[in-house]
Amino acid sequence: MKDFMMIFIGADYAALDLSPEELQNRMGKWFAWGEKMEKAGILRGGNALEPQVRRIVGENRTVTDMTSAELKEIVGGYYLIQATNFDEVEKVAQDFPDYDLGGTVEIREVMVFDN
Amino acid sequence: MDNKLIDHLFRHHYGKMVSVLTRIFGLSNLEIIEDAVQDTFIKATTSWKQNIPEHPEAWLTTAAKNRVLDIFRKLKAEKRRVPQFVSGMDAIAINDLFLDTEIEDSQLRMIFTACHPLLSPTDRIASALKSVSGFSSKEISSSLLTKEDTINKRLVRARKTIRDKEIPFSIPTGNALVERLNSVHEVLYLIFNEGFHSNNTEFLIRKELCAEAMRLIQMVLNNKITRSPDGYALFALMCFHAARLDSKLTEDGDIIDLKHQDRSQWHFPLIRLGNDVMIKAVENDEYSAYHYEAAIAAEHLRARKFESTDWVKILMWLEKLYEISPSPFTSLNIAVVLLQMGSLEKAYDRLLTIEPAHLEQRSYLYYGFLSEYYLLKEEKDKAISSISLALTTVANEAEKRYLLNKKKYIQTQ
Repeated sequence: MKDFMMIFIGADYAALDLSPEELQNRMGKWFAWGEKMEKAGILRGGNALEPQVRRIVGENRTVTDMTSAELKEIVGGYYLIQATNFDEVEKVAQDFPDYDLGGTVEIREVMVFDN
Repeated sequence: MDNKLIDHLFRHHYGKMVSVLTRIFGLSNLEIIEDAVQDTFIKATTSWKQNIPEHPEAWLTTAAKNRVLDIFRKLKAEKRRVPQFVSGMDAIAINDLFLDTEIEDSQLRMIFTACHPLLSPTDRIASALKSVSGFSSKEISSSLLTKEDTINKRLVRARKTIRDKEIPFSIPTGNALVERLNSVHEVLYLIFNEGFHSNNTEFLIRKELCAEAMRLIQMVLNNKITRSPDGYALFALMCFHAARLDSKLTEDGDIIDLKHQDRSQWHFPLIRLGNDVMIKAVENDEYSAYHYEAAIAAEHLRARKFESTDWVKILMWLEKLYEISPSPFTSLNIAVVLLQMGSLEKAYDRLLTIEPAHLEQRSYLYYGFLSEYYLLKEEKDKAISSISLALTTVANEAEKRYLLNKKKYIQTQ
């Protein structure tokens, strides 16, 4: 078993003009997905991220504060799960609820250092 | 633990919180308030993705309460008028407004504001669905089969009227209450009918409109000051109609007429509720159009089979309805009933009093009736040409299929 990260990238909900009803439905899908992974015993952790971004770039360490409204896409959160390979994670990622909003799931394997 | 949220919790809570905050900050700040409430739901969605709190409603209410200070700061920053009430920042008084009974009161104020006679009827429906029911303009547009752009315009116009005319956020008293109640009832009646008779092929949307109208009329009836016999009659009417909603369409969205509906599918608890409500509606002798419409709907439900329908009684109610509210649709219904009773010529005479154009987008009903009349008179050619006319004026796909099937049937006769 290896650890994989599913990173969620897309528009911030606040920028999408979703109705309360749509928000509730979407939230229900996220919750159901999390529960499914938990039941399967593969869920290791995860977090949702606040939409404010402070970016530091270049040698001059230029600092820019950005809001999600200025950025088309931000990392909204991640899940850490256990799987044997990418294909397995890909299957799990089928249930990601926000593909229809143009959302992306990026799958990355957590590197293991052995001595 | 069961973590499933109550259906429409967000939507309903949105209406509640917008109403309470409007009571605190005034209607002139409605837009800022709606944005602030929307924010709390985005926040809830994000943080509930993994963990739904044990008391979701309390969580949402607290979140909205916490926005009071934010909105206050925002108004000051924009140098907008902050109501005296808030400037004093009487924390206890504000807290009290978030109690259930006060929330209900605030919501009623919002319903009565949205139905103010200075707003045009279409604007009233749009603003009620937005500010009271928590529909987005996209949802309103798909519910009413109207372009989103048009809905947005209506909402902007309604807001402007409310601001310019300084419409107060209150439930009127005395004669003004009677007049406003009429408008509230009418708007809820229209919202319900939009669901019940709509041309919308999406059954879920139709059901939700009906359910929403029923939720709001119950809110009006829950309050001692705003309940009235007319309101009860309207609610009874909605119960009776809603009881038949499921049996009106096939799984493919085809229409089933009253004659062919599976009566065992009618929802009996709703019929019983309607009957109970009707008792309250007739406590005095003044009957409104809703009373008669409810009586007619109840009469249809009373018949176990289509053939045992008491047409004489229905005709009597229809005539009474026509007396207090003459409409071409009622006339048409009278003609239909006369036809059912076998009084062909009387039915035809009644039909001739109607100008098809007055039936607007439902003028196909007029020609549909004619076709039925000629069929009974065994004038097949005229029956076919009438139904062809009906087909040229019908817009709704389901109605069209219904008429096409009927035409095929006539041709085989």
